[in-house]
This record gives sequence, C-alpha cells and structure tokens, in this order.
Amino acid sequence: MSEAIRISIFEVVGSSLCVASGDGQKVYERLNAALEADRDVVLSFDNVTALTSAFLNAAVGQLYGTFTQEQIRSLLKVEDAEQDDLALLKRVVDNAKLYFKNTKGYDQAVEETQENEDEETQSKGGESTQLYFE
Amino acid sequence: MKFQLPEIHHDYASFEVLTSLHEKTKECFFDEIEIDMRAVRWFDADMCAAFGAILHSLRARLNDVNLIHIPPAVEAILSKNSFLSHYGRARIPDHWGTTITYKRFDVEDDHYFANYIESELIHRSEIPEMSLGLLKRFRESIFEIFSNAVLHSESQLGIFSCGQFFPKRNRLDFTVTDLGIGIRQNIENHEGLKFSPMRAINWATEELNTTKRSNLPGIPGGLGLKLLCEFIDLNRGCIQIVSDAGYWQRKNTKTITRPLTYPFPGTVVSVEINTADTHAYGLVSELNADDIF
Repeated sequence: MSEAIRISIFEVVGSSLCVASGDGQKVYERLNAALEADRDVVLSFDNVTALTSAFLNAAVGQLYGTFTQEQIRSLLKVEDAEQDDLALLKRVVDNAKLYFKNTKGYDQAVEETQENEDEETQSKGGESTQLYFE
Repeated sequence: MKFQLPEIHHDYASFEVLTSLHEKTKECFFDEIEIDMRAVRWFDADMCAAFGAILHSLRARLNDVNLIHIPPAVEAILSKNSFLSHYGRARIPDHWGTTITYKRFDVEDDHYFANYIESELIHRSEIPEMSLGLLKRFRESIFEIFSNAVLHSESQLGIFSCGQFFPKRNRLDFTVTDLGIGIRQNIENHEGLKFSPMRAINWATEELNTTKRSNLPGIPGGLGLKLLCEFIDLNRGCIQIVSDAGYWQRKNTKTITRPLTYPFPGTVVSVEINTADTHAYGLVSELNADDIF
C-alpha cells in the first residue's frame, strides 16, 4: 500500500492566513486529484492561524459534490488542527453534506416549478406569476 | 449639487442620511458635488467605509466631489485614518493609535485585505489587549465579512473598510461596504425568491438557507454571516447590516429590522466588538479529527 500524500495548507496557500475562497480552490484541486487517484491524503493545518468558512467550503466542502461521504471518510485525514479549526471544518462539512443532498432535490424542484410556470404563463397569454414574501 | 451632511453616527439615522445622499446624487454625471460638513460635530470613523463607498461611486461617474467646511476635530480624525487623503488632504500621524485605516480593495484583493487586517489589528502595540481566543474569532469574523462581499456582491467598484477603537469604552467598530448587487438581488438571482430587503437579510443570516443554492457552481453556500452573528451574540457586541432599502441590527441576541427610505447601492456590514470580553472562545467541545467527514 502506498504512503499517504501529505498536503500542507500553509504550503499551498503560501501564508498562514487561509481566508480566501480562491486559495481554498488551490487546496481543493490537490485534494480532488489525490482522491480521484484513490490515494490516502493527510491534510495538514500546521501553521494556519486564520481560517474562514469560505476557504474551507472551497477547499473541502465541494469534495462532497464529486465523492461520496464514504470515499472521503476513508481516504482523507486531518492533522495539526486546533480544536476551533476542527469545529469550523465540521460545520462546513455538515453544511456541504446538506447542500449536496439538497441540490439534487432542489434543482429538480426548481425545474418542475419552472415547467409549471411555463405552462401557466402560456395559458395566461404570457403573464408570469411571481411569489413575494413579506 | 450641494448636500448638507449632519453628524454621522454608527446607527440607523446615519444610514438614512447616507442613503439619502446617494438618492439625491445617483443621477449625477460630470457634475460638481459639494458636501458641506459644517454641521458634522461627530463622525463615527468606521462609517467612512459607507460614506467613502458612496463618494467613490460618484467619482466613478466622473463627478468632482469636494468636502467643505469640515470642523477641525472631525478633519483630524478623518485625516488620521487616511480618509481625507482621498480628498486632497495630507494624512496626519495617529499618536493615540485608535484609528484603523480607511481602504478600498478590489474583489480579487483577498491577500491585501488579509495583510491589512494583520498590520492594523495584530502587529500594533496600541490595540487593546484582547484574549487570544477573542482576537482569533474577531479576525476570522472580519475575514468572513470580506469573503462574503467577494463571493456574493458582484461589486465592480470594490470593497471599502474602516475601523476605530474606543479604548475607554472597550469597543472596536469595524465596517465593510461593497457597491454590489445587494443581498435581496443576490437571493433573487440565485434562489429565484423575491423578498423584501429586510426579509432578504434575515434569510441570508439563517444557517439552513446557506445549504440551498450557491452562486458558485459546485461550492456550497457560505456560512459567513451566520458565524458572524454567533460571534457577536457571544461577544455581546452589535452587528448592523444595510443592504438595498433594508436595515438589520443584532444586539443582545435580539434582531431588529427597519426599512430605509432609500436604498443603499450595495451592502454594509458593520460590527461593534466588546474588547473587554473574556469569553473562552478557544474552548469548544472536544472533536476527534477522525470524526469530521
């Protein structure tokens, strides 16, 4: 069995401030390539002093759009993270799981609504209906 | 075009003033605009972010903007934080170190913004001593606000920020403003939902709604505003959000919303931090790194 690939967030970003979504994307690209190759990956938070949900959404959250929870759980490990960083990562991961679970249903619902609206619009001679809240 | 500016505080009434300034000048092109500040006896310096954004949009339409009759005390504070450097005055030294520089960033300037926050808030001896946990959460909250503006505002004219310490009151005010499409329009574009401006801000700060559609294909919606609100609740600070014609405030875990007479041309997120907070932010329930995914 080959050794796990180690990805240092600090090294990829080039800074201890891991706050920008664009930097998260760079981390994602490496994680994505490793998981696609079915390799074990260790994601190191060593030297990271600031994190945002935007960064972690891009870096880790979007993995759930491509890989199953089981794949991610079996291949990806986290190291050197402070407890509050782990807490933020957990929030982002839970959010991503819900998001990708919702996305399929949500897209389907939007498509169905759109189809219904199209039919309704045609039957009303081009007048569209809109929903207003508050 | 002349506009008489009254005192500017960090509150609803002053957002009414600034949105009124925008409303009266939004059709101006190649015009000469004089902002008469003789009645400004007080200017909450972090509000430079919102005021500066409106003036920047005026200049982007090639208007000549002049600030006149500024009382000396106000001129001093707005010179120390570099705001008036954009209007022909020299920056003066801030011996007390209570200002956080007024700056404009482009949406791709995440790294500059991060370095600005580090140099303004971390590497300065004048900053009041905050617990390490508070400082980390505060920095991350500010980064969340900026990231939110970068990801959702679609601002073509940039993002503006400014802050101020009040050492005797143990308070730090910081404001970030964008000149983007606003929260209501963003939700309409990406969710297809038509909300009032106030309802839109409420919606954007609720966690479950971030799990719906994202305006970044393939990337889940952000948690930024929700995390910010949680922090402000724990810190017993205050957050005000102005977007479109909606005003939203959260303080002491209570939310207030009010309509503004005129819309703001983007979004303002303004926070007041209690710097004497001793809450142990570092302590969270023990999480096992193997149990994240």
